[in-house]
Amino acid sequence: MALLLKTTKFIETQIDQFLDVVSDAALLFQLAMEDYLMGRNSQFEERLAQIREREQKADDLRVAIERYLYERTLIPENRGDVLAILENTDEVIDNIKDSLLQFSIEMPVINPELNDLWMQTTRASVSAVEQLVSAVRSFFQDLPAVNNYIHKVYFFEREADQLGEKLRRLIFSLDIELSRKSQLRFFAIHIEKISDYAQAVCDRLAIYTIKRQL
Amino acid sequence: MIFIYLLSGLFLGWSLGANDTGNIFGAAVETRMLRFKQAALIAAIFITLGAMIEGSGPSGTLGRLGSVDALGGAFTVALAAAAAITVMIRIRIPVSTSQTIVGALIGWNYFCGRLTDFRSLVTIASSWVVAFVLSGVIAAVIFVLFNSYLKRAKIHLLELDAYTRWGLIVVGAFGAYSLGANNIANVVGVFVPVSSFKDLNIGSLFVFGGISQLYFMGALAIVAGIYTYSHKVMRTIGKDLFHLSPLTALIAVLAEAIVLFLFASRGLYNLLLNAGLPTIPLVPVSSSQVIVGAVVGIGLVKGGKNLKYNILGKISLAWVIAPVMAFFFSFIALFIIQNVFEQTVYQNIEYTFNNKTMNKIKELGYDTDGLSMVNGRMLENERAVYSQLTRTKEYNKAQIMEIIRITELFPMEVDLSILRTKGLIKRFSKERIKCLETLSGHKYKHKWELQEILTAMPEWKLYDKPENEFQKNHNKIIREQLALLYRSFSVPGDKK
Repeated sequence: MALLLKTTKFIETQIDQFLDVVSDAALLFQLAMEDYLMGRNSQFEERLAQIREREQKADDLRVAIERYLYERTLIPENRGDVLAILENTDEVIDNIKDSLLQFSIEMPVINPELNDLWMQTTRASVSAVEQLVSAVRSFFQDLPAVNNYIHKVYFFEREADQLGEKLRRLIFSLDIELSRKSQLRFFAIHIEKISDYAQAVCDRLAIYTIKRQL
Repeated sequence: MIFIYLLSGLFLGWSLGANDTGNIFGAAVETRMLRFKQAALIAAIFITLGAMIEGSGPSGTLGRLGSVDALGGAFTVALAAAAAITVMIRIRIPVSTSQTIVGALIGWNYFCGRLTDFRSLVTIASSWVVAFVLSGVIAAVIFVLFNSYLKRAKIHLLELDAYTRWGLIVVGAFGAYSLGANNIANVVGVFVPVSSFKDLNIGSLFVFGGISQLYFMGALAIVAGIYTYSHKVMRTIGKDLFHLSPLTALIAVLAEAIVLFLFASRGLYNLLLNAGLPTIPLVPVSSSQVIVGAVVGIGLVKGGKNLKYNILGKISLAWVIAPVMAFFFSFIALFIIQNVFEQTVYQNIEYTFNNKTMNKIKELGYDTDGLSMVNGRMLENERAVYSQLTRTKEYNKAQIMEIIRITELFPMEVDLSILRTKGLIKRFSKERIKCLETLSGHKYKHKWELQEILTAMPEWKLYDKPENEFQKNHNKIIREQLALLYRSFSVPGDKK
């Protein structure tokens, strides 16, 4: 039996590694955001480097999984769906990296009174990604649990939207130049977008889950 | 010569291989879980094994419905069945050789004045309906069990894929085996009584019997059908008729294989018989209808959505139309083959009511007063005897059948050289052959005469009332050997 499942187990491990990398990247994003807000710039740059490395690894894993699935004609009925899930999940990590990179390039000055709401929005978006990772894992192993995780992703996405709106209102109520307001709004939206991506993957996942049911 | 006559049967085999293999491997190939080459190889091996090992059961049932006794007749019956199946497929009604061969056989019975065993007909026809419903029930039960197990077992998608792939191979092999066992009767079953293949002795231990050779040829025709045309059919079945996921296909094929096996396995039949349980008749059923039954069963469990209900109507229609169409095709074709091509399509068996047969009837304790109308007469066929005797209202159906058996004129001459030439001698024990040698050169007009003389000898003894399985099996073997002797020693022209 072990010989029979040798290839299968290998790809299962690769998929798990890919999802671990996505989860790591989301947690690193949260830590990087804290570092940035606390002014720990060198630590922030270290986190960005770690996320870049994760993003590269996620790309490599995704390509390897795709190649294996096609070369060995595995899961022919669900292959397209699985590849779409992996590609869309990969976009979430790309988005996380882009967002931090933008911070590193522009180094926006964030007023301390924004810190709390800024972190709340970040945590909501990161939670959405973490729940997405759990949903995708369940898609492979525990189908009935997928909807539960999808529900949580939607919850955190809505939470991120509401907090993001509050954050933007707070930004525009500050007594700072319009150009800075506009720049901070751009970054706030970037953080919200991470949960939007997670939600978009879940929309597809919900359909693929129905398709996978017997 | 037999090869030319066998062509129509081989065509039926080709069509079975081309069409019915799709019912087993169609979804697996179309969903790319299995490559066509893999599917074809598995199908070829296991259909052949099924046909060779367990094909005799359904053939026997078909034989009771009508035992074609001339090669020309067997050719025509198979041809009519093939023509009817072609028409049914053209109008896109799932049908199989089972239904058409039955109609064609009854057509032959009718054409040559033989009686149709209505008990066998009812058994066969009811089996079609039962097989369809049973496969739906089995598929539904397996589906529910599978579904609840998968929800609890939390198997990874990729592992499930690997298991499904192996499942499709194993279940496909089982399905192919059952298909071969169940459906070979449709392909060459009508040729069994007229087969002229000699037994081949391979080494000193193994005998490749004439009937086995016939089944093997039928299996080869099926294999040819698989390799030449089934790929196209598999793609159509997998895509158009019912699009199944690999896992649902696995369940449907498993249900199909189980049903085909139930209706084909002599081993299972004997097992049920020994356990005192009701047996399942060994009848060739339609694999196309059985798989549709399985898909319908699964569809109903899923809530009945996306189910093509018109297919049910089509199948019910096929149960009636296919045999009726084959009946007419067979009757017309037999007329043409006999009168235009001047081929023998049946042996002309007459029934004589002379002193010998009347005394034998009296011995059985029957009142012969009711036979005054036929006494001294020679009747031209079974149906003529039946209609004469039913008119007297003196005898019940079983008694009439017994009178028919006694009056049947079947001239024979005991000639052991025939058994040697045909390679059949090894089928009999040395003791039984010694008994036969004592009768060498003797002539008999009726089968019962030879039977009475032989069964009076201890080596050929028949148990009057068999009490156990051993005695039942002993009687069965003796009857089969007697039937072989009748066929071998037959001298059709010697009626004086």
